[in-house]
Amino acid sequence: MTSVGGVSEGARTVTGVLGAEWVKVRSVRSFSYVLAGAAMSALLMAALAWYSASLYDGLPDGQRAGLSVTSLVSVIGLPLQICFGVFGVLVVTSEYATGTIRSSLVAVPRRWPVLAAKAAVVAAVSLAAGLAAATATFFSTRAIAGERPMGFNEVPLSEGVPELFAAAAAVAAVALAGAGLGAVSRSTAGSVIGVVVLVYVLPIVALNLPEPWSERVSAVLLPGLVGQVSGVLSGTLSHALLSPPQALAVLALYAAVPLGAAALALRCRDA
Amino acid sequence: MIEVKELSKRYGGTSAVDGLSFSVGPGRVTGFLGPNGAGKTTTMRVLLGLDAPTSGEALVDGLRYARIRRPMLRVGALLDAGALHGGRSAFDHLLCLARTNGIGARRVAEVLEQVGLAGVARKRAGGFSLGMKQRLGIAAALLGDPGVLLFDEPVNGLDPDGVRWIRELMRSLAAEGRTVLLSSHLMSEMELTADRLVVIGRGRLICDTTVRDLAARFDRGVLVRSPRAAELAEVLTGAGAAVAPDPSGGLAVTGVDVSVIGDLAARHALPIHEATPRSASLEEAYMELTAGSVEHRAHGSAR
Repeated sequence: MTSVGGVSEGARTVTGVLGAEWVKVRSVRSFSYVLAGAAMSALLMAALAWYSASLYDGLPDGQRAGLSVTSLVSVIGLPLQICFGVFGVLVVTSEYATGTIRSSLVAVPRRWPVLAAKAAVVAAVSLAAGLAAATATFFSTRAIAGERPMGFNEVPLSEGVPELFAAAAAVAAVALAGAGLGAVSRSTAGSVIGVVVLVYVLPIVALNLPEPWSERVSAVLLPGLVGQVSGVLSGTLSHALLSPPQALAVLALYAAVPLGAAALALRCRDA
Repeated sequence: MIEVKELSKRYGGTSAVDGLSFSVGPGRVTGFLGPNGAGKTTTMRVLLGLDAPTSGEALVDGLRYARIRRPMLRVGALLDAGALHGGRSAFDHLLCLARTNGIGARRVAEVLEQVGLAGVARKRAGGFSLGMKQRLGIAAALLGDPGVLLFDEPVNGLDPDGVRWIRELMRSLAAEGRTVLLSSHLMSEMELTADRLVVIGRGRLICDTTVRDLAARFDRGVLVRSPRAAELAEVLTGAGAAVAPDPSGGLAVTGVDVSVIGDLAARHALPIHEATPRSASLEEAYMELTAGSVEHRAHGSAR
């Protein structure tokens, strides 16, 4: 490796390819649509909180204690995962659909830096946007609920913060899975279906399995994992089967397996 | 310098390139000719590391493309001008490519200026005409100021102005000492642009020659008609020409120029009713060369 101005050639390639991928992402409209989708989801959660609050206010005193609303941070997970899953898919498949993948690979013939840079940009964007949307939801829904004890707003801040990070991590994992699926299938439609199956269809299927399989399978699917990572269970699981580090490791596999397959496909196949 | 050595590429059961060898030197435009499906694009894709060869190799400056660091500084390529994200501006399209090879934004502006797209640099490429897309593709190839340039069918779909612009650009790039390989299925275009020709068909080399040699090879002489044919034949033979009776009547004369024939006839006061030079055009020469290797031909039509 030659050294130019103290920066090695390899490091320069990495920063260059990263910069290129960032330009690619920010220079097309779909990026703003995805961010708009995340913002809309957060607004929707605020609306849900407002609706719950008005519902609470309309109830006679005796029935108010029975109103418990699930954590809206966990609810926003689904639309965010879909939004950024599709984003991850598009970052890769749009290059195949337009044919620009060939100029990208001609510019970087080692190929893997292209995939790595795409993954880094997808991870950074989805983690940041996921965290922002989840945090906005957390504070806005609490502010809207005010003093009304409605379940979700009774959780202390110290328990709420891990949930925010778990939600953002799941969004990033799905986005990376989308990117990996995109690189393996080279098809936008196919990869988006894959993301929806992962995020939405499989958890529903798991709920309908006989016990104990329903719990066991749910524990390694996305909604269950988010709860187990943060330690705040909701919905599909009654108790944690995995410790937070174990759950985080399984979540990481959601990103690592498709990306690994993508790296292999990119290396071996003609572009 | 481009070297293709015993290159073969099979896709499943079909052979796209089959034992192809040729080399392309600097300082001139080399035309890469062949009918559709001859293997031109495949050869270029292997040269650029997009496809792995089944056997043999393709080298740029003695290196396999995949081993070149910051390859845009060495090789520029236009494969498919339509390969653009329609929503991205011309400037951003080039910037994405430039960044990967450590090329700055100023160079992006420079090449946009060079290809005449500076005025639309911030416009979405999706709205570009085919000609503008070709110019953008060429700008991308020029980004790294490379010594080797590959252009796959760069004049396809261009208007006469655009064709002339590309022709002059190719010639000036070669004049600067660069290696320029230009693929086309149109001989008429090559005739005006290229110095050397590499003609392939069905993945195999048909000929590797200069434009001038190819023209000479397909020189069919001059058809001469005269009411005093026998005397004229004698005079022409005496001047070193080969004369044979032409199937259409008249004389097929080879070995002397039509002006020489006219002068000789005048000197001997022999009347001439027709003198037609019949050197096959390069287009015809090319058709003849590739006749056996055309992949898709309409049935019933004679080429």
